[in-house]
Amino acid sequence: MDAHIQHKGIMTGKVDMKVVMLGQMACGKTSLVERFMHNHFSSNYQTTIGAAFGARIMDVAGKKVCIGLWDTAGSERYEAMGRIYYRDAMAAVVCYDITQPDTLARAKFWVTELNKNEENCKLYLCGTKLDLVEKDKEARRVDFQDVTDYGKEVGAKVIETSSKTGENVEELFAQIVQDFAESNAAIMASLKDSFPLTEDDKPRRKCC
Amino acid sequence: MAERSVVVGETSVAPTDIEGVISDELKDDTPGVSGEVMLVNTDSFDECNHDLDTQKVTTEEGEADEVVGEPQSPIRKVQREQDNDLVGNMGDMTVEDVVCKVEADNVPVIPQHNNDDDEDEDDVDEEYLQSVDWLQKEKHIFILSESGKPIYTRYGKEDRLVTLFGLMQALVSFVADSDDVIRCIVSGDHKFVFLVKSPLILVAVSHSMASIPQLFMQLTYVHNQIISVLTASALTRMFEKRRNYDFRHLLGGTERLLDNLLNMLDYHPSFLLGGVQCLPLATSIRETITQTIIQYCSKIKNLVFGLIICQNQLISLVRMKKFLLHPADLHLLFNLVNATESLKTSENWMPICLPKFDPNGYLYGHVSYLADDCEACLLLLSVDREQFFTLSEAKQKIVDRLRRHHCLEGINTAIRSSAYTVKAVGAPELRHFLYKSKTTAQFTCPQFTPPYDSDEEQRRVFGLYQLLHHRVHSAARPLKMIYLVMDTHTLLGWVTKDFELYAALEPLVTKQNAIVYINKLLRWIKNDENRLFILSSPTF
Ligand SMILES: Nc1nc2c(ncn2[C@@H]2O[C@H](COP(=O)(O)OP(=O)(O)OP(=O)(O)O)[C@@H](O)[C@H]2O)c(=O)[nH]1
Ligand SMILES: [Mg+2]
Repeated sequence: MDAHIQHKGIMTGKVDMKVVMLGQMACGKTSLVERFMHNHFSSNYQTTIGAAFGARIMDVAGKKVCIGLWDTAGSERYEAMGRIYYRDAMAAVVCYDITQPDTLARAKFWVTELNKNEENCKLYLCGTKLDLVEKDKEARRVDFQDVTDYGKEVGAKVIETSSKTGENVEELFAQIVQDFAESNAAIMASLKDSFPLTEDDKPRRKCC
Repeated sequence: MAERSVVVGETSVAPTDIEGVISDELKDDTPGVSGEVMLVNTDSFDECNHDLDTQKVTTEEGEADEVVGEPQSPIRKVQREQDNDLVGNMGDMTVEDVVCKVEADNVPVIPQHNNDDDEDEDDVDEEYLQSVDWLQKEKHIFILSESGKPIYTRYGKEDRLVTLFGLMQALVSFVADSDDVIRCIVSGDHKFVFLVKSPLILVAVSHSMASIPQLFMQLTYVHNQIISVLTASALTRMFEKRRNYDFRHLLGGTERLLDNLLNMLDYHPSFLLGGVQCLPLATSIRETITQTIIQYCSKIKNLVFGLIICQNQLISLVRMKKFLLHPADLHLLFNLVNATESLKTSENWMPICLPKFDPNGYLYGHVSYLADDCEACLLLLSVDREQFFTLSEAKQKIVDRLRRHHCLEGINTAIRSSAYTVKAVGAPELRHFLYKSKTTAQFTCPQFTPPYDSDEEQRRVFGLYQLLHHRVHSAARPLKMIYLVMDTHTLLGWVTKDFELYAALEPLVTKQNAIVYINKLLRWIKNDENRLFILSSPTF
């Protein structure tokens, strides 16, 4: 898996698509990113301070798309910084915890904010911690149908994932790049074809 | 416990033989002295005591300041000066934005993810107060609001200690009623130390070797850590606006920073000494690293500090010409990196308030490890919150150049092998020491070796250093030198205008030999000073 991860040192110019993760504290954003980028899960919670940036290359429609992913902090303390993370994002993954109904209210706040400020940003409502519900049906506190109804209203796709088992995580991001490819033909045409990365992709160094 | 001791007071006319002999030899050869300063070198400890002495006055001034809108805020200053250049423009949305958002009234309730606390009986306090294990902890730290609302406890859960918090608040307000400030209560071998910093009250309950002023200093660090997360102005405003706010969420998941800091305070000499330890490194490597940072960062506007650290040690620091970094701020950066495992796998962009630099605003930090194969962490601190990608690009160039010049290997080698043991000094009866160069606010010490090979022994000798430190810094009777012969140790503490030295020697060492060893030690440090200390002060 590591071959297509470039989680360090990606510059603006090299990211083809900016994606932002939003949602309340502890709803599972970092875990989702950790599963997607490193195929790893930890049940140990460390709240994010500020935001973390990472990039991964995905293959879609015969092209390599470099996704730059912003994992933001859920704490309202950093809310004012939210804008710098979602500005010009092509997609937003707005997370809520399906076992905690109040996290959906927070997700709706972000949906409204994005619809108001970022017309071109596609929205994905992501219900997290699906494994908890599969273990114990009682644990579900947010109805899938209710969220899809809301999603239709605001133009957001809805998916439920588990970062613990990995269920639907790859599918979520595959969907995101798929949608990106379909509506950005021009950008796609300019991208490299899908064959293994070579050393040429690294920026040229100047002599010093 | 001391069988005999020699003490040289500030006032004694004739210095004793020890001091005479050593200082004669020393002359201008003091190790680690430098006219070039990059860290604020006022002694944090004295500073902290001074703050306390002027506590009442500063709160009043503090209020006045706020109204004017931080006229001397360094962050504002950098922004204003560089705003005009329209490079990396951050507009006017800076500190203020963050502050008003924090005040937003519709703050969501943050779920508590502790599944194990569903009982909510009223007398839960009792539970802890009857637990021997809880009661016997060496040092408790409690944080509460001025109205007595629990915010943090080092051990246990703050919401189970409501009565105890209420009691602490009552004590504070009882003393405040007579227009005074409570500082400490001593009962048996327990010290109860109070730091009242509106809107917070911080309390330490300790039966460790730490003295009362040292506990004050530790509480000040705890307070600084909170400011570092929230900023002082946001903290004040949160309390003004929302009296019924559930203060347990004040720290919003950053309790781990406090937990980590408190552990460090119990054994790491950097806080006690108010100094910073450098990773010992050949000057040529350090010079290349520093030049590399300068090369790729000097053109970046708004960048205030660039530094590389690892394992609580400084590798390189470059600063904007008009600002120094305070060791206390640097300690908070160490703590942040130390306590945040996830920094290792991503590039991070974090708001960080450095209380000594500017308590009322955030700097924005690009924080990332140099590479998968190098454990050192690079921090680029800017006043411009839009600058992530500029800094990200600079970081990549810095790493590429460091790799080309084999500096990453150099750092890795240093991490693995630069720590030294006291054997290197060649003074057989010297067991361990702490040496702080006061002008540079840096210190060096060897790794622990037997007899200090267990945690318990290390804690014990740290306690003895606290004792020595307390004696030489005693406000009532500051000492230049203290020589204590105990049944298990001989201890020496020595303070001059240029350095502080604390040494532990064999109990049976003769005074004469002790002098020889200390001289040898000072010469040894002098010889290696360019590796052990950063004696230059690079700027962008
Ligand atoms: N069982 C289960 N637990 C999860 C899942 N996703 C996250 N968690 C747990 O939920 C807690 C919070 O997860 P994070 O991913 O750190 O939450 P976050 O949204 O990044 O939180 P902030 O950074 O504070 O905004 C952690 O203890 C995770 O282990 C999941 O899919 N299943
Ligand atoms: Mg997170």
